[in-house]
Amino acid sequence: MNSDTKREVQIGIFFLVLATAYIIGTFGISTFTPFGNRGLDSRSIPQLIGLLVIILSIAHIAQVLLREKQVKALLENEQEADTLVCDEDEVACIQPVKGTIIERLDRVFSIKLLLSFVYLTLYIAAYQPVGFIISSTGFLIAESLLLVKKEERKRWRTFIILFSIGASVLIYFIFTRYLTLFLPSGILG
Amino acid sequence: MLELLVSGFAAIFTDPLAISMVFLGVMVGIIFGALPGLTTVAGLSMFLPVTYVMVSHVGLSMLTAIYIGGTSGGLISAILLNMPGTPASIATTFDGAPMAKKGEAGKALGIAVFASLVGTLVGVGVMIFASPVLARLTLKFGPWEYFTVTFFALTLIASLTGKSVIKGLLSALFGMMFATIGLSPVDGTPRYTFGSLQLTSGFHLLVVLVGLYAIREVLLTASSKQEPIKVLKYKMKGLGFGLHDMAGNWINLIRSSLVGLGIGILPGIGGSTSNIIAYSVAKNSSKHPEKYGTGIPDGIIASEASNNGSIGGAMIPLLTLGIPGDGATAILLGGFMLHGMQPGPLLFQQNGDVVYSIFAAMVLGIIFMAVLMWSGMRMFVQVLKVPNHILIPLIVVLCSIGAYALGNRVFDMWGLLLFGFVGLMMAKFKIPAPPFILGFILEYQLELNLRRGLEYSNGNFWDVFTRPISGTFLALTILSMVVTIINNHKASVRELKEKKEGTA
Repeated sequence: MNSDTKREVQIGIFFLVLATAYIIGTFGISTFTPFGNRGLDSRSIPQLIGLLVIILSIAHIAQVLLREKQVKALLENEQEADTLVCDEDEVACIQPVKGTIIERLDRVFSIKLLLSFVYLTLYIAAYQPVGFIISSTGFLIAESLLLVKKEERKRWRTFIILFSIGASVLIYFIFTRYLTLFLPSGILG
Repeated sequence: MLELLVSGFAAIFTDPLAISMVFLGVMVGIIFGALPGLTTVAGLSMFLPVTYVMVSHVGLSMLTAIYIGGTSGGLISAILLNMPGTPASIATTFDGAPMAKKGEAGKALGIAVFASLVGTLVGVGVMIFASPVLARLTLKFGPWEYFTVTFFALTLIASLTGKSVIKGLLSALFGMMFATIGLSPVDGTPRYTFGSLQLTSGFHLLVVLVGLYAIREVLLTASSKQEPIKVLKYKMKGLGFGLHDMAGNWINLIRSSLVGLGIGILPGIGGSTSNIIAYSVAKNSSKHPEKYGTGIPDGIIASEASNNGSIGGAMIPLLTLGIPGDGATAILLGGFMLHGMQPGPLLFQQNGDVVYSIFAAMVLGIIFMAVLMWSGMRMFVQVLKVPNHILIPLIVVLCSIGAYALGNRVFDMWGLLLFGFVGLMMAKFKIPAPPFILGFILEYQLELNLRRGLEYSNGNFWDVFTRPISGTFLALTILSMVVTIINNHKASVRELKEKKEGTA
């Protein structure tokens, strides 16, 4: 099975499992038909969606496997090329290579992407208790320093710190004073 | 209609705040469109919270202005960087960049702005006159008609985006799954809430949209390689081109605008597809197709007229049926809902004043777009040099404000993260996102009208076939699916044959 087929089969399996769990979930939905059952209740559509997903995921797996079989028959004598899976933007790649854990991880998902996710998670967690200004300043500094090129980090550091503080304070005052939105003040409040 | 149109124009053209917000919106849009990696959707998401407190016609005018500016802004980087600022400008690079390399960047920019201006005018013009007529027609729709139109839109988008119809349909159903979280239509029964009070109201449309488009977009841009930007030199005097440069291209200009308009009306595939289709139509009908791609104005005109023509096209199903034509109009739908309006047939009756003000704002936006691009090109080129490491974190912070301010709850920010992750995974596994969004948006309407239809007809589903409009749309749905499946099968057989020939 080549890497493209594997990926497509994984998609099919994911949707199959998801739809099964989703259909099981429908049994927890209470039904209410005060005017008599005229075909559908609040459980029907989710059940229909789940059923369609199951049918389509099985069809997807079957289609992919059938196609793989056809291609294999065509390329019988050909050696399979290197198994490198990359998405369109080459952000996420999988390659069976040796190297440090970080190097391997970087090939599956960009480290910058993973760290951006971690920073975003921490930012959201701190948003309410710590407050908008401090959490945003922290996020802006951390994310900007992460994204700036290593060799330019030193040059940008002071600017990034000052810009992050300035931007957070300015945004807070614009939104709370002039646009009358509520933003958490947290420990500064 | 004329009366409302005049009062709409009066409301916008006599309101300094509205004028300045349209101006600001166009400027923001051009900047976001010009910056490679960031699209109009990110710009709309970022500025959405700014419009929360504005009166509806001003807030929505600003959003539509960002949409206009964003679609046009992509031409700057397409010509000067050989990188499309947005997917809507991909075909602009084919001839724009070679022209710039030949030292004709100013002319290329001038022609592109002119084509954008005409394209937007054609699209918006048709939208202004066709939308109210269509809205009146859709007023006659009952639940079965709504159900079949929505169903048609969903299957159409699933089959038009991506290579696999099955994956498109799975994506739409995946979006529908998320939409069933919360209270059900008709009887308000809680579904998949797991006892959580916050899940009772489900996920807000804007949280899903901003997460799936903007957060995914910025995270992907953040993780992509940051190459130093090399802007090609340009000189632009006046409009940058003369009338003689347009010789032989007037038909191309109008035809491409109409291609863009037509494609924009189809759900899910807006300017990002129309520019490529219009380019190939122009090339195929040209007397000198071999010159395309070498740096001629014809290609730029086709691409820019069509992507801007799609603006008006995408707005038509949004305003008349509540079905967004692309990602940007999906955000606009969220904007309408935030301001207490539901796009659809009743929009023209209940909020006609706002709708016509938006029409006026779009016309003003077109004028601002052309003036700003012709006179302020130097400034926009400078903006291309703003580093991503400053811009991207700022966009995330502003998108987070937008989510938080929806209900003053951190829950919506977690939603952003969740849908950002879902979007990334979908990109990784090449599952198209537009069907997901449309599935999420339309599930409620689909379920509501199906259940209502069945109630009205005492549980008899066959009524849907006997009514002319619903029957027609069902037939169209089946036809579009069959045609797509046949086309996909043909493409697959062709691909296999090519492989066979390649190995022989």
